[in-house]
Amino acid sequence: MSKTTFAAPRRISRRGFLAGSAALGTAMTLPAGAFAQQEGQLLLWLPGGSDLFCKIHTGLLEGFSTGAGLGTATTVCGLGQDTEFTQALIGAITAGNPPDISMLWDSPVSLGAQGAFMPLDDMMKDSKIPIDTWPAGLLSSCQFKGVTYGLPVTAGVYSMWYNQEMFEAKGLPSDRASFPKTWVEMRKLSKEFTVWDGDKLVSAGFMPNRVPETMAIWSALNGGMMFDEANLKYQIDSEQNVEMMNFFLEWLDEEYKGDFNLVDRSGNFLDGYPNPTTGMGPAFREGRQAGMQSGSWLLGDIFADPVPSFERWNLAANPVGPSGSASFSGTWPNWFVIPVGSKNPQAAFDYLSYLAIEGSVEWYQQIPDVPTNSQVQRKAPAGLVEKRGQEVADDITAFLGEQAAVVTPMWNSPVQSFYTDQIARAVEKIYTKASPVKDALGEAQAATQAELERVLAG
Amino acid sequence: MSGQRKPKIGTRFGMLAYHALMLAISAVFLLPFYWMTISAFKTNAEIFSDPVTWLPDPIRWENIASLLTRDDFPFVQQFVNSVFYAGSVAILVCLSCSLAAYSFGCLRWRGRNLVFALTVCALLMPTIVTFLPVYLAWSKLGLTGTYWPLITPFLFGDAFFIFMLRQFFMGVPRELLDAARLDGASEFRIWWQIVMPQVRTPLIIVGLFATVYTWNEFFLPLIYLQDRESFPLSVGLFTFQSQRAVEWSVSMMGAFLTALPMVALFLFTQRLFQRGLSSTGLK
Amino acid sequence: MPGKSPSVGAAPPPRRNRKARRGEARAGLLFALPWIVGMTLFVAIPLVLTFYIAQTKFQIVGAPKWVGLQNYEALWTDPAFWKSAQNTLLFAVISVPLKLVIALGLALLLNRATALSGFYRTVFYLPFLMPAVAGSVVFMLLLTPNAGPVNIALEAMGLNPPDWLLDPKAALWTLILLSLWPLGVETLVFLGGLQNIPKDVSEAADLDSPKRWHKLVWVTLPLITPMVLFNLVIGIIYSFQVFTQAIVIGGTTGTPAEATLMYMVVLYRAAFRYFNMGLAAAMATVLFVVVLILTLLIFQTARSWVHYEGGER
Repeated sequence: MSKTTFAAPRRISRRGFLAGSAALGTAMTLPAGAFAQQEGQLLLWLPGGSDLFCKIHTGLLEGFSTGAGLGTATTVCGLGQDTEFTQALIGAITAGNPPDISMLWDSPVSLGAQGAFMPLDDMMKDSKIPIDTWPAGLLSSCQFKGVTYGLPVTAGVYSMWYNQEMFEAKGLPSDRASFPKTWVEMRKLSKEFTVWDGDKLVSAGFMPNRVPETMAIWSALNGGMMFDEANLKYQIDSEQNVEMMNFFLEWLDEEYKGDFNLVDRSGNFLDGYPNPTTGMGPAFREGRQAGMQSGSWLLGDIFADPVPSFERWNLAANPVGPSGSASFSGTWPNWFVIPVGSKNPQAAFDYLSYLAIEGSVEWYQQIPDVPTNSQVQRKAPAGLVEKRGQEVADDITAFLGEQAAVVTPMWNSPVQSFYTDQIARAVEKIYTKASPVKDALGEAQAATQAELERVLAG
Repeated sequence: MSGQRKPKIGTRFGMLAYHALMLAISAVFLLPFYWMTISAFKTNAEIFSDPVTWLPDPIRWENIASLLTRDDFPFVQQFVNSVFYAGSVAILVCLSCSLAAYSFGCLRWRGRNLVFALTVCALLMPTIVTFLPVYLAWSKLGLTGTYWPLITPFLFGDAFFIFMLRQFFMGVPRELLDAARLDGASEFRIWWQIVMPQVRTPLIIVGLFATVYTWNEFFLPLIYLQDRESFPLSVGLFTFQSQRAVEWSVSMMGAFLTALPMVALFLFTQRLFQRGLSSTGLK
Repeated sequence: MPGKSPSVGAAPPPRRNRKARRGEARAGLLFALPWIVGMTLFVAIPLVLTFYIAQTKFQIVGAPKWVGLQNYEALWTDPAFWKSAQNTLLFAVISVPLKLVIALGLALLLNRATALSGFYRTVFYLPFLMPAVAGSVVFMLLLTPNAGPVNIALEAMGLNPPDWLLDPKAALWTLILLSLWPLGVETLVFLGGLQNIPKDVSEAADLDSPKRWHKLVWVTLPLITPMVLFNLVIGIIYSFQVFTQAIVIGGTTGTPAEATLMYMVVLYRAAFRYFNMGLAAAMATVLFVVVLILTLLIFQTARSWVHYEGGER
């Protein structure tokens, strides 16, 4: 099924090319719009994902189109990833031949602010999904200067994952309420689990954060922010952020010999997946790491091959930093946009509101991306129910729902990719001690602010 | 190979030392190939086993089948794409470049030296310098995502291969052309019926070179093509590796099967390759 | 082959009437026409447009807006530009000469007829046939710090091997090391040159000076200087454009700690990740000027050290 819908538009173009090359140069006059879809039928692009992911979306769109009498819809899956996908989309938009709907795995703000995506505010007003049905922190990942350029239909929600079995083995309480509430407590608890054998890290507690994408969450947990959207000012080198990085760095020095390379040589302590360059299995799933921050997508993979996992883990709210006062969560949403030039914007929007309220329920049951609209009646993921029972699955689902309501604004900058790269650079410099915290953050601040102002100017 | 001299090493010991050295160097050069090949026939766990296993045991032939049947790495489709891409570029290059090379190498006309000098400039110019406007133009035409932007330029020629072919065309005796002209042959006929058969071998060489370069081309297909069903293998391997990086055995099998056709092609046409190479550096 | 070719320019012009000459001139232009059109379409016009885009603010979507020299000013203060230029320069300056020396050494070693000559030639040439992506992926596997075979072997020998691609201090050097692997083309070009040295020259030299080194420096090297020139120019230009290995290994941020951040990667991310076409075009222009100056410089100095047999061209 997915195979046939996969590349239909492209195949035609290559066949067109073959026929054309027979006639040599004459085929150069091939009309640019030759591959456009027909009026009334919806065309959806997806950036990537598994076969299951593709099947779910193909099915949802088909079901909707048939029900609404829109004829045959087309879903194009696996169009490259990251940068390549964005290029494809930009190419289609500039050529005036975009899909009606596209999913994005990168914030729609930067391209939206440049006029690539349709503002949705007017259509949202009288629809089933008005602005107030979306968590504000989440919707801000699609908004710029008060205009909404996309919808965060579902999202991976970041929270703390911890190994209850490891906690209990140490005689520690393993319920959610007892999980450390502050960074200081977490760092203290972490030492209980950390064991070195020479330069090899045998097991670990928790780790200072080094994922550039989630640094905004940790900043919020410390009472700071990375980007002040209201005033269009980056605050990368604010007091709270400098304090945060100093805290992490001291933690690294104290507990992990000041060297992430040593950590990485001992296993994958970064996330819940096998390490791409070393092939090493995730320490958390191997029972060698007490806890870590991760997105909810791990729900779908934690019991999967090739790394079998232990049985009992739980989720808890992110702890608060020394200067922070409240816990926040963060997200990595699946954004949906209607590109400028869409042939059927209203039908496309209707599909998005269907997807946001009804479609996402089925999606979440099969792939645990949390539906974000407040009207959704979430049902626990089938795989989780099977492994952990209905009660735990419902509890996790409810917890993720709560977390989705307290997300801190992120992904909300028109220079998001630039910012992410700058943070990645600063974090690497800090942890490899190539540069002091203040300098590294200061450089990132200056560069990102300059880029923001350049983009906004004129 | 005509100019090759007899071995200077008189003693048997010298000979042995020579071969020992050469074999040691060869081993270093072959190591990555060897590692790729054995990894392609191991499981993930076996690849990272400690101590290192230098022979896959057992040989996992099923890796071939599992590569060829997976939906997220349409290897066969991408293989066909690579053949199509490399093949059409090779054919177009042979045709279009021989036109220009003939003009530069065999014909005299005013402005020839200027145009040839510009060709050398084009040859030395980094691709990226002219790339952005060309990309924007293709994207305005709505042809990104197809093979048009990748193949069309070769319809007109390519500086490197024109430069290479010209060297061979210069070797065609001028008397041959003059004689044909006296017989009243048209310039087109002279090119097609007299000159082209003379440079058949160089044309094959250029075709082979174009095949290898295009087979391995990465940057342009990465930018112009967007879905894995239309990628050539060079890009397909990259996106597979970066998306499913943990499945090393599949990556290695992909790399192995990507390199294999070119290695086979080379082994069959070694002599031609070498002649092509020794010509480019001269003069 | 060209060594033996009768030079077109040197042949005595046969008596021909003006009509035939005009016919030839017309044909010459006609045969070159597709290429002239191609060069105009794909080189000349884009080159001018690149210069133009470099002076605009252009975010792909929408129209370019004239900003004068702002993009160049932004480059001047951009640490990524300088870092990548520094990395790329270091890469080129070390890898190209090193590669030439090794290739020349291999060519000298290969320049004798033995039973295994064909085998050695094939082995040295094979890396060129490996797609750069596949090559980089295999090296990442080989050089994995604790589980990779290279480090296991080195540790077994009692050495303390580096983290290769993960250590910010070692990563660029590892990249340089990897660039030395595919040197088959250079080797065979040199070999072709060595084998084209006329027998009488090398034999005369044998009689004159029995010392091998002397012969290498005074007889062999001067005769293959054209090949050195060719390899040097091409090598430098290509290593300025190193992209594939860098992006496979270091991604768009030049991990670890920008050690593998190359000029082309910064250009690529400016254009296709930050949508800053103007800045990317400015970077392309700078690269163009640098390559132009370098090439002119090499050709200029080449007159004093490259030895051409025929003296022409």
